[in-house]
Amino acid sequence: MSNKQAARAPQPVASERVPLKARKVSFSWEDTPLHWVPGDPFTTHTINVLHLLLPAGERWFVHVYKQVLPYIRDEELREDVLGFIGQEAMHSQAHDEVLPRLRELGLDPTPYTAQVDWMFEKLLGDRTLPPGRARRWWLMERVALIAAIEHYTAFLGDWVLNAEELDRRGADPTMLDLLRWHGAEEVEHRSVAFDLFLHVDGGYRRRARTWATAFATLVFLWQRGIRFFLENDPTLPAAKGSLKDFHRRGRDGLLPSTGAMLRSIPTYLSRTYHPSQEGSTEQAVAYLAASPAALAAEKRTA
Amino acid sequence: MPKLRTVALVAGAALLARRALRRRIQASPLWPMPALEEPVSGRPRSRALTLLVTAHEEIADGVVQLRLEGHGLPRWEPGAHLDLVLPSGLVRQYSLCGDPEDTSSYTVATRLVTDGRGGSREVHEQVREGMELTVRGPRNRFPLVEAESYVFVAGGIGITPVLPMLRALTGRGAEWRLLYGGRTRASMPFLEEVVKLGGDRVTVVAEDEAGLPDLDAWLGELPEGAAVYCCGPEGLMAAVEERVPGVHLERFAARTTAGGDVAFEVELRRSGRVLTVPADTTVLDAVREELPDTAYSCAQGFCGTCQQRVLEGEVDHRDELLTDAERGDSMLICVSRARSDRLVLDM
Repeated sequence: MSNKQAARAPQPVASERVPLKARKVSFSWEDTPLHWVPGDPFTTHTINVLHLLLPAGERWFVHVYKQVLPYIRDEELREDVLGFIGQEAMHSQAHDEVLPRLRELGLDPTPYTAQVDWMFEKLLGDRTLPPGRARRWWLMERVALIAAIEHYTAFLGDWVLNAEELDRRGADPTMLDLLRWHGAEEVEHRSVAFDLFLHVDGGYRRRARTWATAFATLVFLWQRGIRFFLENDPTLPAAKGSLKDFHRRGRDGLLPSTGAMLRSIPTYLSRTYHPSQEGSTEQAVAYLAASPAALAAEKRTA
Repeated sequence: MPKLRTVALVAGAALLARRALRRRIQASPLWPMPALEEPVSGRPRSRALTLLVTAHEEIADGVVQLRLEGHGLPRWEPGAHLDLVLPSGLVRQYSLCGDPEDTSSYTVATRLVTDGRGGSREVHEQVREGMELTVRGPRNRFPLVEAESYVFVAGGIGITPVLPMLRALTGRGAEWRLLYGGRTRASMPFLEEVVKLGGDRVTVVAEDEAGLPDLDAWLGELPEGAAVYCCGPEGLMAAVEERVPGVHLERFAARTTAGGDVAFEVELRRSGRVLTVPADTTVLDAVREELPDTAYSCAQGFCGTCQQRVLEGEVDHRDELLTDAERGDSMLICVSRARSDRLVLDM
């Protein structure tokens, strides 16, 4: 019986451990145009939704993980989590700095980000709970939610590192560097959130339940983010997006493909899933060794 | 046929609901989520700017003025300063002394301090025209308050935050006077401009001609409702503070010994502990010995994870992240230290 259970437990792929550290990046947005994928507002705005969700979302990760530190009994994992926290804090800051640029270009994101802020600060915040079981339950639920979301950030990170079509279309190099620096760090730390979840809880039912919540919420937020941008873009009169637009761009390699998105669902729900089975740490580390922003950060903190 | 009727009713209701919702969502794609009243995202805490050094000139003995150019720079209020990230990574604060309305350049001036912490030496010897420097800010913790009249005491390089104030007050027609002291006239920056601006409202005391200024006489009869501002060497500021307890001071250098940092005491109020932070240890390291679950990450003052609320005590902020408002009641314990002998943290 113990054999059978072991066979169904998450299976990490052996790989050398990369020490995680926050990189002090900074980007200047003065030269980035509104449609930074030239002539393709739909792709631009679909990816822009990241800037709406990530500042508040990753700030929330940090907030939750600060509370979970006392539950960690493994020194190595603890170090990984501390590194993870710093990287997430920098991601949040870096995406936050894009928002004033959007405002300058006539696309004020505040009505949307204020709602995302509400969701992460209030709805998913600490709530008034009695200490003990209720508080612990809510903390564990959020830790599991973060693991599910991180499945998607790692998926997107791996995708953007390989999205050569964006280069071919002449996308803004600063924006690509932001996305790929972020994506590479997501791939680099893709196992941390899941390992933490396994360490403090690891229940399959919780994993499945929080995946469903995270997935539904992401789809909901993303489609309305795209709609919001297309509707408020000062250069587009009455633009609309559709599933067909998304599907077509997925086929062209400008966005993740619908097929890959659907396949990622059973992957996460598999009982033996472990994030180390996906993505390539080597590719991530190689990008970080060459990223203009990461190199400048290296110089600044050396 | 009750079954068919139910199906038709349900289908009809679904269609109606869909239409109603679609119309509602078309009216605004953001329906119906509530928003946070004071949104947090989209107002970055402090933006680093990369500026080009377009002038590096000695404007008085031992005083170098830097002109930093960029475009669309934030405006500032008199009294504001800039955080300069020097090539070695040292962060130093310098008062802005140019025109607050100029959005294409910033001007700062610095005196070479040979036995200091190395910041001014770097500005003098390593910063050159054509170099790029990262700056943060501007921030203002020496703002000009509303008052019936103003009395300024500036010592040497301490004239830099005062100069834009004098220009602003003169422009407004406000009443002011200035005592400007220095070692020699040649070592006093902006002397000519200040005298031209103020005429007989300015008293210049050069040590090699007239010794130290007589503060008792100068500060003896203050006009009713006057605001007193002082910036200069530690000794001068202490002497002025002794005579005028409510004086506005601008203090850049932390209270340090010649060797660098000093030890101080930290009280962790919530956990009821008091600890000593030795000169060569950070607050974070000292706190972690007592509370091992304290969150931190970069340990270099940029990620913000270790931010803690400060209940009492004066902080020597050495991070590059927190805004003025945040600095009012919190600190990053990985790099910042105390200006006072004791800090009380809410942890």
